Amino acid sequence: MDANASARLRRRAGVVAHRVGLFLAMLLICLPGIWIVLSSLRPTVEILAKPPVWIPQQVSLDAYVAMFSGVGKGGIPVLDYFRNSLIISVTSTVIAIAIGMAGGYAFARYRFRGKSAMFLGLMLTRTVPGIALSLPLFFVYARLDIIDTHFGLILAYVALNVPFTIWLIDGFFRQVPKDLAEAAQIDGCTRWQAFWQVEFPLAGPGIASAGIFAFLTSWNEFALASQLTRSINSKTLPVGLLDYTAEFTIDWRGMCALAVVMIIPALLLTFIVQKHLVGGLTSGAVKG
Amino acid sequence: MTAKRLSAPTLLLLPAVLVLAAVVVVPLCLSFYSSFTPFRLTRPETFFTFIGLRNYRNILSDANFWWAFGRTVLLLTIALNLEMLLGLGLALLVEKASRGQRLLRTIMMFPMMFSPILVGFQFKFMFNDNIGLVNNALQSLGITRDAIPWLIEGHLAFIAISVAEIWSSTSIFAILILAGLLAMPKEPVEAARVDGCTPWQTFRYVTWPFIMPFAYIAMTIRSLDVARAYDIVKIMTDGGPAGRTELLWTLVARTAYSDARMGVANAMAYFSILLSIVFTVYFFKKLAAARTQIGAEW
Repeated sequence: MDANASARLRRRAGVVAHRVGLFLAMLLICLPGIWIVLSSLRPTVEILAKPPVWIPQQVSLDAYVAMFSGVGKGGIPVLDYFRNSLIISVTSTVIAIAIGMAGGYAFARYRFRGKSAMFLGLMLTRTVPGIALSLPLFFVYARLDIIDTHFGLILAYVALNVPFTIWLIDGFFRQVPKDLAEAAQIDGCTRWQAFWQVEFPLAGPGIASAGIFAFLTSWNEFALASQLTRSINSKTLPVGLLDYTAEFTIDWRGMCALAVVMIIPALLLTFIVQKHLVGGLTSGAVKG
Repeated sequence: MTAKRLSAPTLLLLPAVLVLAAVVVVPLCLSFYSSFTPFRLTRPETFFTFIGLRNYRNILSDANFWWAFGRTVLLLTIALNLEMLLGLGLALLVEKASRGQRLLRTIMMFPMMFSPILVGFQFKFMFNDNIGLVNNALQSLGITRDAIPWLIEGHLAFIAISVAEIWSSTSIFAILILAGLLAMPKEPVEAARVDGCTPWQTFRYVTWPFIMPFAYIAMTIRSLDVARAYDIVKIMTDGGPAGRTELLWTLVARTAYSDARMGVANAMAYFSILLSIVFTVYFFKKLAAARTQIGAEW
């Protein structure tokens, strides 16, 4: 009886400890984001207040209004940066997916010599740190006169995204049984038709999530963009964010608002694809 | 005429290879060559002067370079190990939760969406000695009366950067390890329990070997992208105070763009590329080994 009670007590203590641990972990994960959102909504006086004001007294969208009404505070043209980011990310994603689909299909469906070496080689091009790659690219782009253009950055981002896109799409095509396409071919489809009418729709959600992953990489990239862009012609949001810190006095509230603007598209997109993304990365880990 | 009969995989891989050759391989060859010249951006003619290994000799005898190199390796070692441990802990916590799994998993992915530059910014904000959340909280709770100079003192700045780095990347490990835990068959764990294993033994000898490949996938993905720490450091301290948080990557950027010494910077960049490649190949090998092991056992 006594052993029974103590076992039950220990079990309950375990449950409570688990709940508390989980809560603390989630709090740590969420806190920085919440703090940024909060700070973007409160007046600068409150951010700078000593002793600190924990609960916002006034909430307003002034920072966002200021940011989007033409040239924002401190002369940061957020709208231009936003447009640049969008154009560059979307275009480079579309191209990277087209190239990645071809490559991923080749890895998933064909056997050829040096396959694993080829795969590793592709991955290794991705490991080159952005800043190391920016040195020769800066030089080459300056010669070709494509520094500070959308084209230059799109080209760089396509190369940045292709290896990982191939990895993901390879995994998704592997999940589609080979027999289906073969059956379609027996029924008279060409390989091309079999691909578009059978394999592509089945791998579709996976490819979409690979696309979103590529989009996020471009959207968030900083090291290359900071060197290959110069002006509002092609500067992206991450580079724009650094503009704020380069000023003499930091406009914390404005930066927080810009940060929120940057995170919202990323947030939405990640929610949409989270399930497929994990599936794609781990496919093959179980079956080999 | 022979070019007409390219095989299908060659044709399919051609675009990828072409793009990567044009944007990565060829420029890298160029930078490899220029690491043997005293090339300066301001004086283009220096591009054609060949000075052999002098850049490399200068770097290798430069204490600043070795400090930056050591600091980079230290940061990566600390960050990767802690990320792995915390990720494992987080995954186990979430897996045990009986309700709200979906919500928990969504929250867990949260840091993944933040670009490194944003992570750097938000922690710069939180660790600000005057108005930052961390100091405000410590002072309000009465733990310290003076403001702690988080980003101004060398060691503290290194800690702050590590925290930012770990915060941003733990979720990758947690998500992939959780995927492994969920994919794991339940029978072996139950069998181990019936056979009288302690929870620790069950974890160590049954669960861990199974989720190991997932941990290595996370490691591989992570090691592809170790240089993202550049963004974080760039915005948080920019290598300061007085070069105390200078990493290999910030040093490369400073040498190349502020000092305009492209030749030297390229030589340094090769060390950073080598570092990344070593990390990736190492984990890739581990991943392959773990996969075959699992394939044999399950």
